[in-house]
Amino acid sequence: MRDLFKPAAIRIALRSILRRKVRMLLIGSLVTIGTFLIVFGGTFASSAQSESKKAIVGYFTGDLELYSNRSKEVPSPFSFTTPLPVVEDSRKIEAWLDGNPDVQSFVSIGQNYGLISIEKDGNKLDLPILFYAVDTARYQKTFDNLQVTTGQYFGAEGSATSQGILLSEAQKKAYHDKYGVTLEPGQKVTLLSLTGGGSVNAVPSQVLGYFAPRHYSNVFDYINFMDMRTYSSLFNFTGITSGSLPTSMNDAFAATSDDAIFDLADTAAFDKLDVAALSKEDLTGSTQIAIKLKDSSRAEAFLKDVEAQGFQVKSIPWNKASSFFASVADILQAVIYGATFLIFLIVVFILMNTLIINILERTGEIGTLRAIGADKSFVSAIFLWESILLNLFAAIVGIGLSLLLIASFGSGGVKLPDIVAQYLVGGGALKLVISPVPFLTGVGLVLVVSFLATLYPIRVAVNVSPLKAMSGN
Amino acid sequence: MSTIIELGDVKKHYMLGTTKVEALRGVSFQITRGEFTAIAGPSGSGKSTILNMVGCIDNPSSGTIIIGGDDVSGLSDKRLTKYRRSTISFIFQSFNLIPVLNVYENIELPLLLEKGMNEADRKAHVMQLIEEVGLTDRIKNKPNQLSGGQRQRVAIARALVTKPLVVLADEPTANLDSVTGAKILELMEDLNKRQGTTFVFSTHDHTIMDKARRVISIQDGLITSDVSKAGLAV
Repeated sequence: MRDLFKPAAIRIALRSILRRKVRMLLIGSLVTIGTFLIVFGGTFASSAQSESKKAIVGYFTGDLELYSNRSKEVPSPFSFTTPLPVVEDSRKIEAWLDGNPDVQSFVSIGQNYGLISIEKDGNKLDLPILFYAVDTARYQKTFDNLQVTTGQYFGAEGSATSQGILLSEAQKKAYHDKYGVTLEPGQKVTLLSLTGGGSVNAVPSQVLGYFAPRHYSNVFDYINFMDMRTYSSLFNFTGITSGSLPTSMNDAFAATSDDAIFDLADTAAFDKLDVAALSKEDLTGSTQIAIKLKDSSRAEAFLKDVEAQGFQVKSIPWNKASSFFASVADILQAVIYGATFLIFLIVVFILMNTLIINILERTGEIGTLRAIGADKSFVSAIFLWESILLNLFAAIVGIGLSLLLIASFGSGGVKLPDIVAQYLVGGGALKLVISPVPFLTGVGLVLVVSFLATLYPIRVAVNVSPLKAMSGN
Repeated sequence: MSTIIELGDVKKHYMLGTTKVEALRGVSFQITRGEFTAIAGPSGSGKSTILNMVGCIDNPSSGTIIIGGDDVSGLSDKRLTKYRRSTISFIFQSFNLIPVLNVYENIELPLLLEKGMNEADRKAHVMQLIEEVGLTDRIKNKPNQLSGGQRQRVAIARALVTKPLVVLADEPTANLDSVTGAKILELMEDLNKRQGTTFVFSTHDHTIMDKARRVISIQDGLITSDVSKAGLAV
């Protein structure tokens, strides 16, 4: 293409576009729409992605979650009825996390379900409850997502309100609609659980109040909160570790026959139980530990540190721990890019078709150019420039429109319908963040489209014989 | 006078479906520098085919075509294009101006296809030609703003701008009224006399033939006569 930058080729191309205004306007409009979709849609999608990450990490999962390496499932906001195995050594892990400079904050979560037992009209009524059992102060510090609407949040350790349950407003409505019951803040209730041993356990508790989630109401409307002490009592997560029991006792647990157990009585240390040697059970009932890092990009290095500690845990990043929520923005982006791809595919065919029509209408002109000594590369350059100039202009218009629209939303962001916002970015307006990627993608794609759409028409054009000049213009 | 064009037993046939059409059946002649020659004949006689061969826009089926001492009959498209750019120029029956370019730009275009002349020289040369064809007041006009005669003047100027060895004109007055046609022919004749430019044009118009100093008559793909102005057979 040695003639590509010949001013005469560019001049003829530009004026030929202007000469066929209506046809070119049609193609240009399609390219403008495609570019607008890429730039505005891309900005929208990439903003949604970054805001989605911010919201999930900030209010939902943290940068990552640790969970028991005995678990066959991964943590999910929906795994209540089949809770994950509890994290062993959770106290040790918590202590280690407390001293880790990479950690901004963390909270252990016991994800489980149970029943609230109350009396109604002289009868017992059991209300099902899904809950997160948490270190309440840590939870509030890590995920400031619960807005108390009635009653109060958990009080400080040792206070009268440090233990109890905090229910969601959605749960309140569900109890009212289904059971005709409204639990009042301060109301005494009995919590029931099915313990690991298969027995039903009951602990007295109280309703502290109600909350509305600030973000991800489609998740946290269905999750209620319980303090860790109540949870431990409810599920018997208190006791002693098997490691601190006398050897003979452990031997008895491991005995394979009744005789073997009785034989243990003959051992010297059997009746000597040193209570002081017993350590408290190092088990809190946490099924996962959500961790926020000071610098998210350090996640990999941090996980290596975790691994080096030899904790009995696995890890899951924020985007996996949040189930499908992190992928909503990805899906949106894929849809936008898919739609754009389709538009550009259509543009390629329409542009190609239009250029071929142009060429067929201009065989006399092309023949004349060839007859007066224009090389094939000069003819190619004309049609390539026609395509590039038209599409670049249309792309600039598309970019301009996108920028105007982005600017029109201002710092307030795009107000989406709540249901969409909850899934996409955990609720609220979506702040649009301008990044160069959609702009460069838009311009790049337009250039590729221009080139692709011109390949075949150029082939047709350069094969026009100079003899065509003889048949008139 | 030196020979600048020489055709030796040039034949050309086309296939129309399964039918072989013999457009030229063995044509030989020579053109010397400064000639003002008409190739005359009825429609379909083969005169345009001869111009196409000489103009390097069509290849002969057999025979030789020598232009400026070079045999061009078997050259590649690239080489033929170069010949058309530097050695030969065309004036078309339908003027064939580039519709999006104005008078000045149309005339300048052949110079822009070949490197060599600086902008100032190019401008001076183009302006001189515009003056010679009498279109000084139409420089900025596009072809659709010109009359037929004015368009053909532009085409003549465009043909002369590269100072070619020969200008080939395919029925240059066919799309013009008789008065304008005569004026165009006068212009060509004047340029031939003043600048010594060689003109070869096809025609079936006797008025035009009368102006030519040599008339090569052709019929059914064969030369039937080749007569100079003095009436002597060439």
